[in-house]
Amino acid sequence: MNPDEFDVIIIGGGITGAGTQRDCAMRGLRTLLIEKSDIATGATGRNHGLLHSGARYAVNDPESARECIEENMILRRIAAHCIDETDGLFITLPEDDLAYQQTFVQSCQAAGINAEIIDPDLARRLEPSVNPALIGAVKVPDGSVDPFRLCAANMLDAKLRGGQVRLHTDVTGFIREGDTIKGVHTRSRATGEEKDYYASVVVNAGGIWGHNIAQMAGVQVGMFPAKGALLIFAHRVNNMVINRCRKPSNADILVPGDTVCIIGTTSTRIPFEECDEVAVTPDEVNLLISEGSLLAPSLSSTRILRAYAGVRPLVSADNDPSGRNISRGIVCLDHETRDGLKGFVTITGGKLMTYRLMAEMATDCVCRKLGVDKACETATTPLPGSEERSYEAVAQKIWESPSTAQKAAAARMGTRASRIRTGDRRDEALICECEEVSVGEINAAIERMEVSTLTDLRRRTRVGMGTCQGEFCACRAAGLLAKAHGCIARERADLNDFLQERWKGNFPIGWGDTLREAEYTQWVYKHVLGV
Amino acid sequence: MKLQEYTQSRANFEECMKCTVCTAYCPVLQVNPLYPGPKQAGPDGERLRLKDPYFFNYALKYCLNCKRCEVACPSGVHVADLIQTARIKYDKSNPKLRDRILASTDFMGKMVRPVAPIANVATGLGITKTVLDATLKIDHRRQFPAYSGRSFEGWLKRRAKEQAAFPEQVAYFHGCYVNYNYPQLGKDLVKVMNALGIGVQLLDKEKCCGIAMITNGMSKEATKHANHNVAVLQKAVDAGLKVVTTSSTCVFTIRDEYPGVLGVDNAAVHDAIFMATRLIYEKLEKGATLKFKADYHKKIAYHTPCHMEKLGWGVFSENLMRMIPGVEFTVLDSACCGIAGTYGFKKENYEASQAIGAPLFAQIQSVNPDIVACDCETCKWQIEMSTGYKVMNPISILAEALAD
Amino acid sequence: MKFDTIIIGGGLAGMVAGIALQKAGQKTAIISTGQNALHFFSGTFESLQEPTPRIKELIEEAGIRLHYGQGVRLMPMGTFQPSALCLEDVDIFPDAHFGRRVLIVNFMGYHDFFSSFLSEGLEKQGMECRIRFLNLPEMEQLLQSPSEMRSVQIARTMDRIWEKVVQEIRVLLKDDDTVVLPQVFGLKDPSVPGRIRQGIPAKVVFAGTLPPSVPGVRTQMQLRKRYEVLGGTYLMGDEALEAHVHNGMVHSIVTRNLDSHYLEADNFVLSTGSFFSKGLRSNPERIWEPVFGLDVEYPEDRNGWYSPSFADDQPYMGYGVKTDARLHGVADGEPLKNLYAAGSILGVTHPELGSAAGLAIRSALAVADAILCHSERSEESN
Repeated sequence: MNPDEFDVIIIGGGITGAGTQRDCAMRGLRTLLIEKSDIATGATGRNHGLLHSGARYAVNDPESARECIEENMILRRIAAHCIDETDGLFITLPEDDLAYQQTFVQSCQAAGINAEIIDPDLARRLEPSVNPALIGAVKVPDGSVDPFRLCAANMLDAKLRGGQVRLHTDVTGFIREGDTIKGVHTRSRATGEEKDYYASVVVNAGGIWGHNIAQMAGVQVGMFPAKGALLIFAHRVNNMVINRCRKPSNADILVPGDTVCIIGTTSTRIPFEECDEVAVTPDEVNLLISEGSLLAPSLSSTRILRAYAGVRPLVSADNDPSGRNISRGIVCLDHETRDGLKGFVTITGGKLMTYRLMAEMATDCVCRKLGVDKACETATTPLPGSEERSYEAVAQKIWESPSTAQKAAAARMGTRASRIRTGDRRDEALICECEEVSVGEINAAIERMEVSTLTDLRRRTRVGMGTCQGEFCACRAAGLLAKAHGCIARERADLNDFLQERWKGNFPIGWGDTLREAEYTQWVYKHVLGV
Repeated sequence: MKLQEYTQSRANFEECMKCTVCTAYCPVLQVNPLYPGPKQAGPDGERLRLKDPYFFNYALKYCLNCKRCEVACPSGVHVADLIQTARIKYDKSNPKLRDRILASTDFMGKMVRPVAPIANVATGLGITKTVLDATLKIDHRRQFPAYSGRSFEGWLKRRAKEQAAFPEQVAYFHGCYVNYNYPQLGKDLVKVMNALGIGVQLLDKEKCCGIAMITNGMSKEATKHANHNVAVLQKAVDAGLKVVTTSSTCVFTIRDEYPGVLGVDNAAVHDAIFMATRLIYEKLEKGATLKFKADYHKKIAYHTPCHMEKLGWGVFSENLMRMIPGVEFTVLDSACCGIAGTYGFKKENYEASQAIGAPLFAQIQSVNPDIVACDCETCKWQIEMSTGYKVMNPISILAEALAD
Repeated sequence: MKFDTIIIGGGLAGMVAGIALQKAGQKTAIISTGQNALHFFSGTFESLQEPTPRIKELIEEAGIRLHYGQGVRLMPMGTFQPSALCLEDVDIFPDAHFGRRVLIVNFMGYHDFFSSFLSEGLEKQGMECRIRFLNLPEMEQLLQSPSEMRSVQIARTMDRIWEKVVQEIRVLLKDDDTVVLPQVFGLKDPSVPGRIRQGIPAKVVFAGTLPPSVPGVRTQMQLRKRYEVLGGTYLMGDEALEAHVHNGMVHSIVTRNLDSHYLEADNFVLSTGSFFSKGLRSNPERIWEPVFGLDVEYPEDRNGWYSPSFADDQPYMGYGVKTDARLHGVADGEPLKNLYAAGSILGVTHPELGSAAGLAIRSALAVADAILCHSERSEESN
């Protein structure tokens, strides 16, 4: 069999693409995933990482709410190591209408979301960082989800089931025979190598970039980019998700995620040309801080680590070019029935929370086309790493008395932490001191997780995500990558890219301790190390 | 609300720039590879602990609480406070009997004082040391401080009237060591103060400052002591008295550890308690005089105790001793002696404790002074035991040098 | 407590000013908020300018061994930067071709020395490189700690066993004409790097590591010791909080540790460094100097503080306090007559002006001269 021939090619390494590849692979298909950059570089990695209970949508969009709570419960089962079951609060502040709380709770219950009104005092005790002025609180089963980990776990599972992955590879065109898509032309960003791949079905899971991919295939999917800006604070201020109990608005969700917390988001329509380089403006930063401080007042004096923005693909419901009628739900388009183009499917809309359902719908569509009759099992099969519910259990099973770094690795990798080589002390050395990432964990990621750059490594291990933003770990990790890839000149360029990428998120919030750190980083890299 | 005016949140650990300076000055790191070091144990670990107390590392117990990381930190991070606070918050293991005994300095003093001669012989006996070593894991190589038969409090009470006659008054937080082990230091303070025309009073029943309890996982007991002492100091402040001590650790604990580690509000009394050397220096600066012997020819080497370094008050002790005519004065290099209160008494820390102190001991030997001066009683034990040189509190040196 | 001059900030500028003033017979104190930027010192005092004999003398009197001459030095990532006055550990080469066959020696498990980047950088210059790792039993204790295989901890071990390292390298040596070693030697004893050079029959080049910088820590200790031997009072771990100013003159300052005990002096030097050292502070709206409230010039629009490119010179790094021509600090447009600024807080770091260390030394000496000249004049007029 031709090694470049597959049952299905998935374009897009976001969570939708990775989830679709996993589902297809679980149904026995030969899969190839192509991504122009790295996994989770689009909207997947640029949101709150909120494990929605659905409560946010309950009043205005009951269908989304129902999808969310169902997927929420599924993800707790299948993606334990990517999920932090924190619960969430919807708080009513004195300036909000307390009457909305009733509507809200009723809508939640109607959607099957366990929303419970609690005494403000109890809320203050459960979440000491919450604005103490609150006059009402509702507890919901929100949580947080690490989108990088989730995406990586889906990709890894697909790989373990024979799937192939080409990251940092552009799809430059489609191979078309008459009214049928037969495959794709690609070019590697790393080597410039051009290559064709063939498949019976191509799935467009390109997020906002799916608009252009569809165009390249000669069909129109009406998408509108909406930018959302967020801020990461340097430590975990809150341990429960905090939302405002009112009509969804700007900067009204504060999510604890791993060692940090994230406030967001804004929402602004932007032109397509700006999708690849979205910048956070000072106005957005100010808005996020001031609104965020209403949820947790200590945010007004907590160090900010980064500002970043993602682009959500809004999909027009009925090919409406004005984009006024936006579909909130999942859009799965079989272009054969819609446009007469065979072998091409677009999966879009939806949200991080519903990626598995989107993947199921896309895979169902692919299977129908291929005549494969196999039921979806993604809702019940744990992702690799998620076979245990708690990281305590994982760490205890692997190590007799786990070190802090080993505990942290168990929290990041789940049961896959057993892959970290042990026995040599040198593997225990810390590369990233802020997040406690060891040589062993980095080498495990390099071996199995398709790492070509430091930024890729960061998404898989949290290297450089801590307080110092790569000040010490970037050059150490670069040494390991240089060794693994055997190309030092490339690694030198990669290190510069990584420092630039970190700075991009730092300067929009460049004051106070962040500016001090930035100055120190400049000093270390330019004057001490001489990059 | 002023947003992000400056990120001096309660989360002071965020000011850490990860510059690693603290790791170069931690005395424990130099001898004990099991200790994660101030950066990892402090600000780095804190972020993980905030995520989940599960990430607490029991190796934090190796921290000496010498605060050298804080003195060295260019960013003003309360590194050692973070470590001690984490131990209080997350260390769920109960302190061992041995640690309780070591930490209860005033209780032990009260119990032992009436039988001091026997106790001193007993703790000095090889067999007792062996038993302590085997049963309690108190290292047999340690010399125990001797207990005094008569308490300082009793001595000063008997002189209350005579002291009250002085036109100016201070209260004296003498601490456990002066009261039970070495009343002479208290007497020396009274002598110097009297020479300045100042009478010395007791506080209204002080308790142990609690530092040994803090470092031995007895924060509840320490907090009780802290609240008691703050109330006692408040009475003195209300009476218009300044309070002095002769122990750098006691005053440091009361001023800094009460709010920083125990969360006890001491704002009202914080600025009223000083090292006696600071008060004396200030008196002399304002014109008071002390008359010294003309023939006090001593070579003195001053060791600044870690907590004195943290207070930043070594300069007062130094300047006072430099004032004594005929004194040849050297300041020893800034270094920890390794004892850190009760730390060095524990069998598991003995080797580390001596290794930490080694450079200091070597320097003392090379300077070869008549007296090592030092404001801390536990440093005194350690240096005397490890070098054989005589260690005196600067106050005792002043008292000795005063013209009769 | 009263001094002739109080220096706020105990880094290179503060210590040089302190040493110069003590040498001239003044009674001074240095207040230092913890340790300073010398801990990240690259080893080069002057990158462009030929140092004056006075500068060389002042540094050498502290027991610091120097190299001087115009040229380039090897950076830890295998690049080269200009250099004119360095610590003895740091070589100055006329150009970037200093050897033919180079042996780069690293320690097993040490990630803060970038042997592979060094090798690639040197190969670009036409040198042939090989990398070897030393695995010494004496390093076992360091390896036990996942985070503390750091330059300074290694250096403590090396202070004991450097002779053994020399032996090991002699064994590794084949036809190499140059050996590159990490700067982890001579933490306490400044003669060690030189003795290593004597012990190895090839040119020995020391290349930097991630901080802390061992030569930097050593330099800091030597300068502080020198200052204290000259009778200076170094208040480590204290912080100047505010100043009492009357009629354009600073009268005294308040520090965190000494609170109500004000420190008085005839003259004051502000050498508190830039943002990292908190000499300057910033929030979303402004940048200020926290002790005296000296004037700082910067664009109102925050976007102007930065270049979006990491590689560019960053505008904020050039901000500093305003001074008059004699380096008096200026507040509300008026110079404070007995306050001088020195070092990075002047904010004139610019590649054309040479290294920040050079600026620190030159401005500190200028300030010391201004103070001494002024005191002389006031004595004459009395």
